[in-house]
Amino acid sequence: MSSLEAGADDFAYEQPPEPKPLTPANPRELKRLMKDWRAGRATRNVLQAMSDAYVAVFAAVMIGAMVVNVILKAQRTVAQCTSATCLSARAILPWAAFTATIAVALAVSRLFGPVLASAAEGFWLLDAPVSRSKLLRSRLVGAIIAAFLGGAIVGGLISALTGSGLIEVLVWAGATALSAASSVAFAAAQQGIERHRLTHLATYLFGVLAIGALFSVVGVAAGWFSLGLSDNLGIELGLIMIAASVLVLLVSALPAALRLGQIRRTRLLTGGALVSGISGAFYALDIGLARDIVVERRAIERGHVHPRRGKGLGLEALVWREWQRLWRFPQPLLVLAATIVVPYAADALGMSVLTPVFAALALFGSTIPLLNGLRVLTRTGGLARCLPFSLARIKVASIAVPAILAGIWALATTPAYLGFGDGAVDRPVPEAFLTAVATAAAGLLAAVRWTQAKGVDFGAPMVASQAGAFPPGLVTNLFRGFDVCIITTAPLLLGLSPWWSLGIAAIAAAILLNSMDAETLRARQAEQQKQLAAQRKQRADAAAATKQRKR
Amino acid sequence: MAKRTTILKVSGLSRAFGPNTIFERFNLEVRTGEAIALTGRNGAGKSTLLRCLVGADHPDDGSVEVCGNAMNETSPEIRRDVATVIDDLDFFPDLSVVEHLDLLARAHGIADPDEVVDEVLEEVQLVPQSGQLPGTLSSGQRRRLALATAFVRPRKLLILDEPEQRLDTEGVRWLAQRLKSERQKGLAVVFASHEPELVESVATRVIQLGAARG
Repeated sequence: MSSLEAGADDFAYEQPPEPKPLTPANPRELKRLMKDWRAGRATRNVLQAMSDAYVAVFAAVMIGAMVVNVILKAQRTVAQCTSATCLSARAILPWAAFTATIAVALAVSRLFGPVLASAAEGFWLLDAPVSRSKLLRSRLVGAIIAAFLGGAIVGGLISALTGSGLIEVLVWAGATALSAASSVAFAAAQQGIERHRLTHLATYLFGVLAIGALFSVVGVAAGWFSLGLSDNLGIELGLIMIAASVLVLLVSALPAALRLGQIRRTRLLTGGALVSGISGAFYALDIGLARDIVVERRAIERGHVHPRRGKGLGLEALVWREWQRLWRFPQPLLVLAATIVVPYAADALGMSVLTPVFAALALFGSTIPLLNGLRVLTRTGGLARCLPFSLARIKVASIAVPAILAGIWALATTPAYLGFGDGAVDRPVPEAFLTAVATAAAGLLAAVRWTQAKGVDFGAPMVASQAGAFPPGLVTNLFRGFDVCIITTAPLLLGLSPWWSLGIAAIAAAILLNSMDAETLRARQAEQQKQLAAQRKQRADAAAATKQRKR
Repeated sequence: MAKRTTILKVSGLSRAFGPNTIFERFNLEVRTGEAIALTGRNGAGKSTLLRCLVGADHPDDGSVEVCGNAMNETSPEIRRDVATVIDDLDFFPDLSVVEHLDLLARAHGIADPDEVVDEVLEEVQLVPQSGQLPGTLSSGQRRRLALATAFVRPRKLLILDEPEQRLDTEGVRWLAQRLKSERQKGLAVVFASHEPELVESVATRVIQLGAARG
């Protein structure tokens, strides 16, 4: 007889003791329980982890020392530059960093929360009868501190790299740090009352101010206008910004803390899910996937759009849709416009030789958001299979709009290569134009290469290292795009004709835009091997038949 | 009666993952007006076979021909003739439901696609969601959108992997009707399914695939 068929008489139960009355757990007990669940499943103790971490810490210290050394050297070099362009960049670029940091802090805060909770916390803590404000207070403080540190690094770095003195660097580091912290506090205060319009508006306002500051660097460098800033004004204005940021921080942090209990559970958890998704993608070094998660999240936030009729037929329809989608989410155009400043700024700062590399890298970063269509069409292949065109033609149609924009970008940056700054490399107009086109091609093709990256194949043969085996894609994916930028602009860096760069760009385009991608090549190789095997079999069969006949 | 032409011809198709043979020397010929249902338990090789048929996976041996053209996933001719709904279908995150269908119809050369798009939207019951972005759709609605992408465009062969997945009872009934009418219109259909109602009402032939062999 199975246990399921057992009758009631087969079992004898003891009367269970009277249960003790349950008392609600407090947050500390619940946190201890979570810690126990997590730590109880650890496979290494602290000492083992520390010994493993030794190499990582040593490497971090080494690399950190090298970075600091490079920054100090660059600071000393740029500080010696006393031309009008250098002085203007020194005065204005910290402002650009200040406003850009506020814009980024607000945008990131709005995307993630800034106050958020993990799925585990949502399951264990948020449903428990505990004070949500107490639970989330550390999250708010953590987000503000993280923004403060990030702002300090950006502000200090930009100020140092433009050749400012120590006091000015400290003032701008403090001002940018406090502004970033106050931005996060402001976004948290808005999150508490479920209003995001002000945060949204402030993001755009400071974004536009940052771009304006960058353009004014170019304007002063080109001699179009003069701001007439005195040497001490930077420190004075920085101190005023510190005072203003502290005020905003205090005014925002208090309501943010008071409203913590009002933040909806779903809002807290979506932020946490976004963080865990992105951190998972970063753990696998799949930056493309991390970006996909953010793009998807932004689209979900928008949720609904006013549908627009398409235009054209065939591939033309795809190009039109790319255009429409860009107008629906035009923010990337602002970033693209901002990068026009990069070659001018590099020239103004006396780094003319490196201008094409910097400009191509800036365009590379700003073009990626314009290639969302290409990303979707090449990510899985499912949607591309629905379109009656070859993959090569789909790719060309998907990058048509970004290519036009890159062309406009090339025109807008051509004067930067004419050599307007002090100590700049002077080029005739045709050569400057070709240099701008080659740079734009490098940036665009780098973005195309980055966008088409597939996730790391952990099933591929591994490479042995001291840290264990890893798939080669894990490392090569990190350099995707950067390689195209560097290789294409290398002839310009070496002082060769821009035609060399254009030639390299043409080869890169042939590889990236044709169906000569790795997957197709593998398929072709497999097909050829199959045909070869079939021919061998045929020959063997024929030989066997001949032998049979002879017998 | 119109002569039935061969739409899909599969000869000696074999696929193995390491030591596990999924299918070996598989042959199939599908003519216009035929609907082939692939059934079998999980791991029997239904999805792998369908992936080989659409070119998303490469068989170890054998060949697939669609309307006389050797299978090549990126061939425009194949893409024009074969409408597929398998698991790897992706959507533009910033394009609404109706805009996806409009784009596909236009890409396939339908000059005034409004009529066919509206008809398909109505059929898959996504009219209220027509302006929604795909990320906000439920899993069932995403499935309906995936099916709509196959029905909004011209096609000769429909290849569907468990199309009933995530559909409600009413949805499965509609799908059965729709696939039946596709077959009656002279299209060829190959689908994998675990839904007996769908298999019984649509399929002209049922192929039971065996479990993976060691």
